[in-house]
Amino acid sequence: MQEFMLFIKTEGDHLENLSPEEQQAHVQKIGNYIGGLMQSGKLKSAQPLQMNGVTIQGKQGTLKDGPFNESKEVIVGYFHIVAKNLEEAVDIARANPVFDQEEATIEIRPIKQMDGIN
Amino acid sequence: MPNTESSISNKINHLFRYEYGKLVSVLTKTFGASHMELAEDVVQDAMLDALNQWEYKGIPDNPVGWIYKVAKNKAINIVNREKYKRLYVSETAQHLQSEWTMQPALHHIFTDKEIADDQLRMIFTCCHPAISQDSQVALTLKTLCGFSIPEISNAFLTSEENIHKRLVRARKSIKVAKVSFEVPSGKALEQRMSSVLETIYLLFNEGYNASSGEDLIRFELCEEAIRLTEIMAQNDNIVNKSNVYALLALMTLNASRFKARTDAHNNIVSLKYQERQHWDRVLINRGLTYLELSTQQNNIGHYHILATISAHHCTATSFETTDWKSILALYDHLISIDNSSIVQLNRVIAISEVHGAKMALNVLDTIEDTTVLSGYLPYYTTKAELHFKNNEKNVARKLLNQALNLPLKGNSKLLINSILKKY
Repeated sequence: MQEFMLFIKTEGDHLENLSPEEQQAHVQKIGNYIGGLMQSGKLKSAQPLQMNGVTIQGKQGTLKDGPFNESKEVIVGYFHIVAKNLEEAVDIARANPVFDQEEATIEIRPIKQMDGIN
Repeated sequence: MPNTESSISNKINHLFRYEYGKLVSVLTKTFGASHMELAEDVVQDAMLDALNQWEYKGIPDNPVGWIYKVAKNKAINIVNREKYKRLYVSETAQHLQSEWTMQPALHHIFTDKEIADDQLRMIFTCCHPAISQDSQVALTLKTLCGFSIPEISNAFLTSEENIHKRLVRARKSIKVAKVSFEVPSGKALEQRMSSVLETIYLLFNEGYNASSGEDLIRFELCEEAIRLTEIMAQNDNIVNKSNVYALLALMTLNASRFKARTDAHNNIVSLKYQERQHWDRVLINRGLTYLELSTQQNNIGHYHILATISAHHCTATSFETTDWKSILALYDHLISIDNSSIVQLNRVIAISEVHGAKMALNVLDTIEDTTVLSGYLPYYTTKAELHFKNNEKNVARKLLNQALNLPLKGNSKLLINSILKKY
């Protein structure tokens, strides 16, 4: 078993343009998806991120303010999961209902494992 | 309106005794074993809310659902508002802190399977060897059976303060030993199982053997011991259930005789004189089914033997037609596992029915260690009866008079005096 971070990226706030009914339907779908992951013990945690915040760039620490709604791709949340291997992590990410709404990107990154010190 | 309040509070007690244990178990998994008291506080709070609301608005259609909802909300508030106050070790606590995972997590932890697993975890946590045995029993009754401190102290004929102390000690032991909220696996499971079963059997016997105290509450102790063991029997995490079923059989069969063991004046009636039509046939049948299930794996322990002995009594139409030969054979077997003086004494009774009083007295005299027996009332009554049958009335009377000097509970003295009258 290996741990993975799945970073969910969309163009702007992907839920903003949905009607309340659509939002509700989306929440329902994501609830089922997450519930399934929990049931199989694959989910460590999953959290959405707020749209404000800042980025710091370079040694000078140039600040760039949020909100990031206008940016092309913005991380809107992450899933921390456990999977057998990268293939399984990819399958899990593919099933994410975020893809039903619009163009989305999920970046799948294995978490580096520390083997302990001898 | 103290009247209404107490009737609603009674209803809550009655309705939620089982739900209480389930909710506390689920929330203890959420908060971690070291926060067991927090879990209890949340559930108690929810019940208090219920009491306050229902007093004015009446009891809702789905009271259980109502309490669950309130308890869930309280739990979410605690893990979110006080998230930096405590260290939660569980993943569930984390899941309850994210709007993505909160609802699925709530749904997940309250599925029937998870609730059942958490109750099993709770049983193993409350009966952890780091906790002293009398505290284990008190903690089990409090958290899993929803008994109040006054109820527990009533059942054990001790002060509320004493029970309170035992609970405090138990929770402290869990924290100090960093007991995790888990059912052990592999070899450790076997070991822990036997100590869990021992505690449950102790709980049962507290209810079954006490010679005074309220009958009603004592029978509830027996029922609770059976219910907890049934939770274990129903759980798939325990593969080898042979001992679980054997203990269930033993307790169910013994419980079938509960009501016949005392007469209208609450005097103890010994097996020989019990009115067998008052034995509970439903419990006997259940006990026999459990006994059958207990033999499906090749493993015979002392619960199997005791349960089989009890089954012989339960299925005999009278004391005289009881299959004493088989019972004696079972005691012979039992002695090879458990050579305690109490077992030897019970074997002597079987010997007297098979081979007569004289032989039984000879064997009784060979019991070497009489330290336990010298304070054990049945030792005196048994020995007296054997001497009486052996036409030694004086010896019999002398023994019973000796027994009167023991520190006896409630109606035991009446029992002795009634035998003395017969001799």
